[in-house]
Amino acid sequence: MTRPSQHDQISEDDHALAGEYVLGTLSLTQREALEARLPNEPELQKAVMAWEERFLPYTAITTRVTPSDYLWPRIERSLKVREEKAREASTKRAGSVNNPPRSRRMRHSLPLWRGAAGFGLAAALVMGVMLTNELTEPTTPEYMVVLLAPQTQSAGWVVQASSRQEIELIPLGTFEVPEGKALEFWTKADEWQAPVSLGLVEPGQPIRMRLDQLPPLEDNQLFELTLEDETGSATGLPTGPIEFIGRAVEI
Amino acid sequence: MTDVSLEFDHAAALAKCARGEHDALHQLYVYEGARLLGVVIRIVKDRGMAEDIVHDACLNIWQRADSFDPSKGSARAWIFSVARHLALNAIRYRDREINFANDPADELAQDEHFQHAYVAEEAFDWQTGQRMDSCLEQLEPERRNCVLHAYVDGLSHAEISAHTGAPLGTVKAWIKRSLLRLRECMA
Repeated sequence: MTRPSQHDQISEDDHALAGEYVLGTLSLTQREALEARLPNEPELQKAVMAWEERFLPYTAITTRVTPSDYLWPRIERSLKVREEKAREASTKRAGSVNNPPRSRRMRHSLPLWRGAAGFGLAAALVMGVMLTNELTEPTTPEYMVVLLAPQTQSAGWVVQASSRQEIELIPLGTFEVPEGKALEFWTKADEWQAPVSLGLVEPGQPIRMRLDQLPPLEDNQLFELTLEDETGSATGLPTGPIEFIGRAVEI
Repeated sequence: MTDVSLEFDHAAALAKCARGEHDALHQLYVYEGARLLGVVIRIVKDRGMAEDIVHDACLNIWQRADSFDPSKGSARAWIFSVARHLALNAIRYRDREINFANDPADELAQDEHFQHAYVAEEAFDWQTGQRMDSCLEQLEPERRNCVLHAYVDGLSHAEISAHTGAPLGTVKAWIKRSLLRLRECMA
């Protein structure tokens, strides 16, 4: 199959591929491959939009589900955090390029990094209170992350940061690591392109680490533990299933 | 089955979002939030994750509102596509190591809609009064059900194959052929 140039009509295969993308039958790799083509192939974009239009009426097959009362306040809070950051960034750049930061696009393939992590906000605040009462050290953590199991939403680990350069990962229970596998610890701030490995961790063992190589910890920063081969992910990026995930909350 | 969406001006809401008006996003959320959450829940099958995705979709819509081009399609299709693709990417990401031990197929087997999906009757009330209805009508019922279930439930080829018992290659060919027939019919 030859790739048509931008001005040509796209092939029948590409029309079908665009349709499958909208239906959702493609694998993650196929989806990413198509998403990578979209910015440069306006005809393919058109084909995708045409399928979106054709199928849109069938969203009415689903039942409406009223969002919880917390959802809008959470969206609003995230909006404000984002605008705050954008303002800071533009102040730093003041006088140079006039580049409105909010036109910067979010990466479309970001969902789970932003997705599964969100649950723990209320829990994190509750846990924060509980843990500061229980732990002997009187230092007040600046940030707190509760890492939850995505399936059961039960809390498995807590990250406490007493400064923006030092964190402690504390287990709340045990975790059975399958033979030949290990838990690898990752973090990613909103603006980073990809997560960074913080190394392998022993289940049930607290570990303290300095983040000297990384930018200071920030609000909403993502932490997760994935199941990797016992020597850790070979690619430098998480490849295995997410076992625990959560976001930093400023306290 | 009716879907009232005519009285809300989605394109105007996006234009206001692009100008930085929080209220416009809130109105959009009030108007479409429950439908968006319904669509996303059917795909991810997890309420907490679905709310996270609607959260992300709203931020994404806000951030990208200025890139919406009304000449390329309707604002409502654009808005729903943002949420659906976040949901689809999330489940494909979650399932990238397919773990048949807790296969989402188990949940699907208990989904009453699904149990009827592949018999030759109607799986659900799918007629929307749109032109696409008559095109879908021309497909064989089991193929129509495959297509609609893929769209509504976010099923992969493999999941459809597992549930229909049809070989993977057959499912792929069915869907591709159905899509091409639909496109021809809508042309």
